[in-house]
Amino acid sequence: MDLQILIGILKKNLLTQYRAYPMSFFVGNILTGLYTVLGAWFMYKLLFEGRLSSDFFELTKTNDYMGYVIVGSLTYLFVVRTCLNVSRSLITELREGTLEALMLAPFKRVEYFLGNMLVQTMTTTMEIVISLFIAIPFGLNLSNINLSGFIVSFFIALYAFFGVSMILGCIMLYTRDTYISQNTLFAFLFLVSGITFPTKYLPEWLNICANFIPITEGVILIRNTALLGMGIEDLLYSYMKVFVLSTIYIIVGFGVMKRCEEAALEKING
Amino acid sequence: MIIAEHLQKTYSVKVGKGLKTEKQQIRAVKDISLQIEKGNIVGLLGINGAGKTTTIKMLTTLLAPTAGIYTMDSIDAIKYPKEVKKRINMIAGGERMIYWRLTAFENLWYFGQLYNIPNNILKKRIEELFDLVGLKGKENVPVETFSKGMKQRLQIARGLVNDPEYLFLDEPTIGLDAVVSKELRQHVKYLAKQQNKGILLTSHYMGEIEELCDYIYLLNDGILIEKGTVKELANKTFHRKNYLLNIYNTTNDILDTLVTILKSIDPSVIIRQENDGVHINSKDSMSLELSRICTVKGWYIKELYEQEPCLEDTILQISKEV
Repeated sequence: MDLQILIGILKKNLLTQYRAYPMSFFVGNILTGLYTVLGAWFMYKLLFEGRLSSDFFELTKTNDYMGYVIVGSLTYLFVVRTCLNVSRSLITELREGTLEALMLAPFKRVEYFLGNMLVQTMTTTMEIVISLFIAIPFGLNLSNINLSGFIVSFFIALYAFFGVSMILGCIMLYTRDTYISQNTLFAFLFLVSGITFPTKYLPEWLNICANFIPITEGVILIRNTALLGMGIEDLLYSYMKVFVLSTIYIIVGFGVMKRCEEAALEKING
Repeated sequence: MIIAEHLQKTYSVKVGKGLKTEKQQIRAVKDISLQIEKGNIVGLLGINGAGKTTTIKMLTTLLAPTAGIYTMDSIDAIKYPKEVKKRINMIAGGERMIYWRLTAFENLWYFGQLYNIPNNILKKRIEELFDLVGLKGKENVPVETFSKGMKQRLQIARGLVNDPEYLFLDEPTIGLDAVVSKELRQHVKYLAKQQNKGILLTSHYMGEIEELCDYIYLLNDGILIEKGTVKELANKTFHRKNYLLNIYNTTNDILDTLVTILKSIDPSVIIRQENDGVHINSKDSMSLELSRICTVKGWYIKELYEQEPCLEDTILQISKEV
């Protein structure tokens, strides 16, 4: 890992993002979080009148549905932003005509993607912190948070998001499509990753699918530390599971990405 | 030295047939061998679809060849593309390959980071490059506000930011005005002859190739069909010699005498009188004979020279033959 290259990519991306997307983009992202929370609040309070099914507590170890949804939604926002920034990075280079210049340079891909990941982590963390304050009136209670467990879970979850974004990046670069692939995946992840309800409510086959997506366990880790106060020692098995699953995604992603890059370069004037 | 032997590249392309798609193999490059020595400018010519771009992409390691051998300074370029990337760079025509949202300085700085150039060296080099491409004073201006020529100048600076040993120039002067094109040509010469860089140049401007290239490779349909210097290519293509002879006070008698003598030497000779003098097309070299005849006959020569075919004529002739 070369720090000079990593810092170069980080600085370039921050400058590009700052110039390309003014404050409205930042506000738009916060509003997305707010709308998701608001939607869940209306559903819970007005449609279901604050009633939860009897097995909700058994599955989630909490009766705080609003806290459950808010943490899930804000984590999902992180997933979306990681996918938008990391997965779209190479196809954006292709569209802007800089892919060849980039590929001519002797850097490692891991430095490039990590640089992109770091930028999005910094900007999204700022957005999430603001969103957290907005979410408090809707019933978010973080008084039980286990800080050390939360920090470890946060980084493990980031690793999971990175793995998924690598696979999505391959699909985008190969198909040269961003809209259909990203929106389909986002809708699928929202449905199966336990963002607004436990995955056990899903049909059995979809529940099995959800278990093979590292984001599902990543969301559980964030919730368990932020809402239930679980510590590192309580979550070792989950950490291991997310780490192994995400590593598989990353290895497959990097392997396939090489082929996708070549296919993309072949298509330029080819 | 760059040595490429029997390079081939086959693409798999999906072709739509109604609702179904079918995979087709397209052989963009069938068999190309070439060499680029440091200090030399090598031209790569061919009509559209000849395989020039694919060849450049293979030589710059952007694409892996389907078959063939490619070495750069004895390094296996196919096996170790990263080692090759450290020694090369490419400048293509047009306004791409730079980030429009960054300033000129930020662009060069960013690419410098990707090449892992120490920051103190990079800062000095960037200053020199801005001087060289005439962008001094525009360092902190966002590229999106640049004119086409300025973007192209910046792209040239980007291509030199890692001080490459070999430089690939793919239509570098396309869309540039005459002044910038001339400056670029002068700089390309300087890089090759003074800084000992190996340069591969493709261009649709024959004058550019003729002016710059020490050696030329000509491609057609993915195959190397001819190679040589401009003169060698002309000699291979045009087997007859052309002369222009201009004699003071040319009369019909002088012309008749000249025709009789030349026909006796070469019966296939073609002679025609035009405003600028007598044009002679012969099978063999005739410059000595022509000057001897004029001396013996006491004709005063105003002009006598062999007319070399230009590269454009040569390429057109070769294109007709293939």
